[in-house]
Amino acid sequence: MNMMPFADLARVDAHDKVRGAVAFAADDARPNLAYGAFAVATIGKGRLASLDVAAAEAADGVRLVLTHANIGAVASAGFIMGGGYGFQSHQPLISPEIAYRGEPIALVVADSLEAATHAAALVRATYETAPFAVELDAPGVEVVDQAETPLAHFIPPVAAGDADAAYARAPVQIDARFASAPQHQNPIELIACVAEWQAGRLVIHEGTQNAEAVRHGLAAALGLDAGLIDVVSPFVGGGFGQKNSLQGHTVLAAEAARRLARPVKIVVPRAQLYHLASFRPANRHHVRLGADRSGRMLAAIHEAQAQTSRHDLFPGEYATTSARLYGIADFRGKDELLRTDAQTPGYMRAPFEHIACFAFESCVDELAYALGIDPVALRLANDTTVDAVTGRPLSSRHVGQCLERGAAMFGWERRSMAPGSMRAEDGGLIGWGVAIGTYAGLRAPAIAKLKLTDDGRVEIRVGVHEMGQGVRTALAAVLARKLGIAPEHIVAIIGDTRAAPQHLTAGSWGTATAIPVVEAAADALLARLAELAPGGVSNREPAQILRAAGLPELAVEVQGKAPGQPDAIYDRLKAGLPSIGGPVYPEFVTYSYIAHFVEVRVEATTRRVRVPRVVSVADCGRVVSPRTAASQVRGGVVWGIGAALREASEVDPRYGGFLNADLAEYALPVNADIGAIEVAFVDEPDTRFNSAGVKGLGEVSMAGVAAAIANAIHHATGKRLRELPIRIEDVL
Amino acid sequence: MSSSATLRTGGHPPTPGRVAVELVVNGVPLAASLDPRRSLLDLLREQLGLTGAKKGCDHGQCGACTVHVDGRRVASCLTPAVQAHGRQVLTIEGLSPAGSPLHPMQQAFIDHDALQCGYCTPGQIMAAVACVAEGHATSPEQIREYMSGNLCRCGAYVGIVAAIEDAAMKMAATTMATAGRSAEMPEARHAAV
Repeated sequence: MNMMPFADLARVDAHDKVRGAVAFAADDARPNLAYGAFAVATIGKGRLASLDVAAAEAADGVRLVLTHANIGAVASAGFIMGGGYGFQSHQPLISPEIAYRGEPIALVVADSLEAATHAAALVRATYETAPFAVELDAPGVEVVDQAETPLAHFIPPVAAGDADAAYARAPVQIDARFASAPQHQNPIELIACVAEWQAGRLVIHEGTQNAEAVRHGLAAALGLDAGLIDVVSPFVGGGFGQKNSLQGHTVLAAEAARRLARPVKIVVPRAQLYHLASFRPANRHHVRLGADRSGRMLAAIHEAQAQTSRHDLFPGEYATTSARLYGIADFRGKDELLRTDAQTPGYMRAPFEHIACFAFESCVDELAYALGIDPVALRLANDTTVDAVTGRPLSSRHVGQCLERGAAMFGWERRSMAPGSMRAEDGGLIGWGVAIGTYAGLRAPAIAKLKLTDDGRVEIRVGVHEMGQGVRTALAAVLARKLGIAPEHIVAIIGDTRAAPQHLTAGSWGTATAIPVVEAAADALLARLAELAPGGVSNREPAQILRAAGLPELAVEVQGKAPGQPDAIYDRLKAGLPSIGGPVYPEFVTYSYIAHFVEVRVEATTRRVRVPRVVSVADCGRVVSPRTAASQVRGGVVWGIGAALREASEVDPRYGGFLNADLAEYALPVNADIGAIEVAFVDEPDTRFNSAGVKGLGEVSMAGVAAAIANAIHHATGKRLRELPIRIEDVL
Repeated sequence: MSSSATLRTGGHPPTPGRVAVELVVNGVPLAASLDPRRSLLDLLREQLGLTGAKKGCDHGQCGACTVHVDGRRVASCLTPAVQAHGRQVLTIEGLSPAGSPLHPMQQAFIDHDALQCGYCTPGQIMAAVACVAEGHATSPEQIREYMSGNLCRCGAYVGIVAAIEDAAMKMAATTMATAGRSAEMPEARHAAV
């Protein structure tokens, strides 16, 4: 293995992206497209009593109106966390039942978008209404102990030592409750697909993180052979978990395209996707942390409650994360799921880790103040090399380096400990806060097909999706270095079920999944080239050796999987099912780490909170693509600022659904909200985890940011704020 | 063509319920028969095949659809296509036509990695070019304010501000160098700088 750090390489798809030349799914303007638009339910729960589509069907340009009455044999593809393929098991339009406000009741397909949108507004429904609950404490919410569900088989509750007894004995106790509003992922690319039938094959163009699940889910929903379905997703306009499985609109687009024998395009309006896709569930936490007077953390208990739907159990994994921040021997976790009348919530960047780190790292800051110990020193004193939950060694953990280096970059030694003790020239309050974050080191199986042709072109086909994280650049970086060729000669065919099985790309496992296998494929190719050149390969490019041997092309195929996974995992991969290994492996446990240092300014008169600068230092193993990795971290910090200070999906207890369903009222961070974000990496390969030494990065980047902000606000104001988002009224 | 031109059917036979418009897109004069409900964004994307401008909200809230009309940045999703009658429209495809060098702003976005997924990028770049032309790129603080109508969910704002600062200097140098030749430049190109 080459132990040198990777060189800085410009994002390989940036040239096309700055010219608007990358084709996203909705960038399909061929003639003869038909356009779909949805009519949606306007009650919180119940049943359709009548559905009048006559006016819609009679409108100019309308070709088809699909409803539960004429949908035919379409079925649910099942829930991805329940053995199926969808973000939820509830498939709209296949029954008159209404599970939640905003679910589609009709799909109108017309010759133009304007005609479809107009006709969808002509659909009239009456309902038999039923009581519903959308808030966590509303009457009718059902509380489920996750430990008593099938989810416990793969997400066992954290139970290390005897946490309750150890906490009771601890001389210093921190006991605090935290909460977060629901939030929506809101990638700027809308949910969109074009479905077409070509000579009996169904082809789906859709920005998805999981082309294989879309393919197999469509097969299940439509009663088709998956071998007749192709899903193509070369570029995703931001995923963030929202596009991680089959969504209901794709099934309906495919069915409409079949009936019309015409390609159908659906672009879900922003307002509708607040109910047509998943979201980060409302959640709340009770954390207790016990320590001795020297600051050694002895025991912790993390009990979490999170929203799920009536029809599915979206798991909680909050304590599994907080238990990995430090080496606390006695740790107990509990997850309860609260059934509400909403679509099934789902994964949104650092789905559990963001809020688990917010809660736990806020408690650690409280502990630092209770003991009068510097918050960085307290964290360093509780570092570990062993996973306290399992007793197994950590394959790598450099969070101490993250803290030390970050403190130096930030100038932490100039901080005065007392809240309210640092002032800006304009009279505003300055607060400096720190927190760490962690995220599981995961890996999925992958099959890489590498082909060299005698013109010097190298094609790589592998299961991974490009959604902005920069995996195309990472693939080019490793292949260019291994094969000694220029990155521009490398073509990556990814996000395409025709190229290789496409495992879900999420959970920061994309790099650890694809890169070691692609490196191994490059090694295999080099070995074959060495056989072709008995005189040696020195100073010759791969294509020269190929040409000298008189071969037009050379292809290799390599597969790889997580440590401890059985060979049968490749069957699951090919079936489009989640096949994730880790973070607990037979010989070790793997996590990524980060330390965030945040400065906040609280304006003296308005009390507006600003974040002028952040320093983040990450331990993600070997950094394969330094430039895109730094952008990933900056993006994660922006997400943390949004989650801490801006984002909340407001539920409507009167009528159900989410109220602020657009980008003006759901406040995302804008350019003016963001100041300087300085990023550094430990860049130590974790070769125990995989041969390339890479760990995940995209999610850990966000974990801990909100805690660092809340801790900085405490430093500025003396206020402990434990509900997100934190707003002006909270610091008055 | 003046911006005060009135709607007319031009050389096209009138179609019931449709409106004929003439406009110049990326320097090319075009005539189109339109559904009057059609937005400029949907005209560009669905009818003209210019899919660089993106739909992120259709409500003027995200900026992904930003194009220039007569040299000013507009949210094309909020602009009825008929309103572009008689006007010059510049899209990302016209900023540096295929085969020509990148606009300094495009190059700066690459150099500063001012993008991730690339979906908001055409809108960011069109807004950024206008931001500089308006004189609103004189400091990082000013750039942040005047670029806050363009959302980037990947969070590339730090790179975007750096790219605009960088490109603004290069654009100023280019403007000075080409000031004597501006009369020869195509009108749409001129509107961009």
